[in-house]
Amino acid sequence: MSIIVLDRVSVRVPVDGRPAPKTLLQELSLDLTERRIGVIGANGSGKSTLLRLLNGLVAPSGGTVRIDGADTVRAVREVRRRVGFVFTDPLSQLVMPTGREDVELSLRRSIRNATERRVHAESVLERFGLLPLADQSIYELSGGERQLLALAAVLAVEPEVLVLDEPSTLLDLRNRELLRRTLAGLRQQVILSTHDLDLARDMDRVLVVDAGKVVFDGEPAAAVAHYRALSAAGLPSAGGPAGGRLEQA
Amino acid sequence: MSGHGFLLAAYVPGTSLVHRAPLWLKFLLVVGCGMTSFLIADWAVSAAMLVLLCGLFLLSGAGPARLFRAVRPVLPVLVAIGLFQWWQLGAPTAARIVLNVLVCVVAASILTATTPVQALLDGVASLARPFRRFGADPERFALTIAIMLRSIPFVAQAYTDVRDSARARGLERNPRALVLPVFISTVAFARQTGEALAARGLGEPEDPED
Amino acid sequence: MTQTDRPATARTPRRRGRWNATDLGLIAVFAALVAASALIAAIPVGGLGVPITLQTLAVMLTGLALGPGRAFAAVGLYMLLGFAGLPIFSGGRSGLGVLAGPSAGYIIGFLLAATAVGWLTVVVLKRTAHRTGRLRAILLFAAAMLSSIIFIHGLGILGMMVNAKLDFSKAFLADLVFYPGDIIKNVLAVSIALALHKAFPDLLLRRVRTVDPRP
Repeated sequence: MSIIVLDRVSVRVPVDGRPAPKTLLQELSLDLTERRIGVIGANGSGKSTLLRLLNGLVAPSGGTVRIDGADTVRAVREVRRRVGFVFTDPLSQLVMPTGREDVELSLRRSIRNATERRVHAESVLERFGLLPLADQSIYELSGGERQLLALAAVLAVEPEVLVLDEPSTLLDLRNRELLRRTLAGLRQQVILSTHDLDLARDMDRVLVVDAGKVVFDGEPAAAVAHYRALSAAGLPSAGGPAGGRLEQA
Repeated sequence: MSGHGFLLAAYVPGTSLVHRAPLWLKFLLVVGCGMTSFLIADWAVSAAMLVLLCGLFLLSGAGPARLFRAVRPVLPVLVAIGLFQWWQLGAPTAARIVLNVLVCVVAASILTATTPVQALLDGVASLARPFRRFGADPERFALTIAIMLRSIPFVAQAYTDVRDSARARGLERNPRALVLPVFISTVAFARQTGEALAARGLGEPEDPED
Repeated sequence: MTQTDRPATARTPRRRGRWNATDLGLIAVFAALVAASALIAAIPVGGLGVPITLQTLAVMLTGLALGPGRAFAAVGLYMLLGFAGLPIFSGGRSGLGVLAGPSAGYIIGFLLAATAVGWLTVVVLKRTAHRTGRLRAILLFAAAMLSSIIFIHGLGILGMMVNAKLDFSKAFLADLVFYPGDIIKNVLAVSIALALHKAFPDLLLRRVRTVDPRP
């Protein structure tokens, strides 16, 4: 397993018309070494920011993030080779018109020879059962197939760590199940954020994030219970329109 | 989405002579045909070229239906231009102008029907290689082209969605409200794409420092 | 805390003058936007259902949204692929042959107008950073009109004179038809651009405002 260390990390962004920057993530220190780690929390709680720190998509405003010693700002290339990232919406992630070409694109940096690249891409697609769909337009695939393809394209370069930002949010029940099984079978260390509490229960360790702070860190069952209590607390009693603030993602 | 057939003839796998022809030759064909309108003054030469190119296209085994589909989008415009120029400049000139446009479309279709996108990207990347000393980055250039091609259906879909929703609500009186969602979603899509590229370690500038 | 206020959204530390992956995404997608705008059937607008095509809107918006460098790259990429044979010029035309057609001037004008309005946009945004939104909107509209009159209409007329052998007055009259639509489209483009900058403050505004010598 990789060793991911967040050392006194905080994230703030400037906001127009306000003198003080907005805090997305309050100072925190974490060691992430478990094989399966989940992050749960409300929309806008800071889940995505936390995950994006892990492969340098977000740079910390203070403190450092290191993946096996590699700093996510100074050694961003190295970090991105080690840490694969899967987004919620596979359509924004798939660049090429077909699955085969997208997987080959992933391999462009690592395999220079076009024939070798082709062979390797086929074996990756085969592994995920995507070979029959390899030459179809990504727009003609179902949501589940697209998400699987996005996953395959990221795993093609064999990262050590796989970070997934709400990977099951756009999927139906059947495809969620497929995703769960696929993730369970991976050799990689997996860190994911989710609203899918079933998926969260599969993890070894779950962090609950609220308002830019990690408010719970521990066993999945206890974490889910904590999150449920937290979510119920902010709501008005029954009747009337839901008064909970809708926060932007 | 496959209804957006305006990306010329899509790649048709095959092993014909045209498929096996080197990429630079096909590039040259397209560029050369693009120049015809400057160089050729006789409509009969244009017609002969068109026949030759159609023959080449069919030789690739992509079939006449695909050929027609590639040409179809330009036909209404060509009819209009042809009639106008006939009236303005006479039949031979009108024929030459119309035929030259068809020559370009068919030549480009030969290229796209017989070359997979990856090979095109490699080709573009190698074409851009001489410009490296001026700061060009062939890989990123090729990648940008690929993203553009794959984004056209997205933008087209965004327009279609907007038109449908405008129809559903009746004619929208405020054009800004009508088209703004297209652009907001387009920019969001562009940024997500950029972020996803960065996350995959693609498209970032090479850093000379390390 | 060891460092202060590095913007969190900086996807990668930006090096001078080099576009990062987000810039490439924006360039590519705006090029696609210009292409799609030329191909998509016009949208009926307003009570009379007068159809407008959105290509000049997309071109001007590219400059207003991205600034000169990336707008030049986006519209340039569109033109390059069009010349290379992709049928993405209006009416599905393509190839270098377009340069011999009557609309050649307009197509070249697009590239220069997008770049010019992009450059003016940066100037306007810098100068009006602490002013009211209305002044900013008016100045941007003036910038858009100036750029499109000089480059799109100017070169458009020139193109018709050279390629279609029209004399100046005829070409001028032929071009005049496009003015009412263009004024509307520039108003629209400016209001959309302002909405985009509000929705995505780091699209151009934050880059413009933080003319900060620090790396």
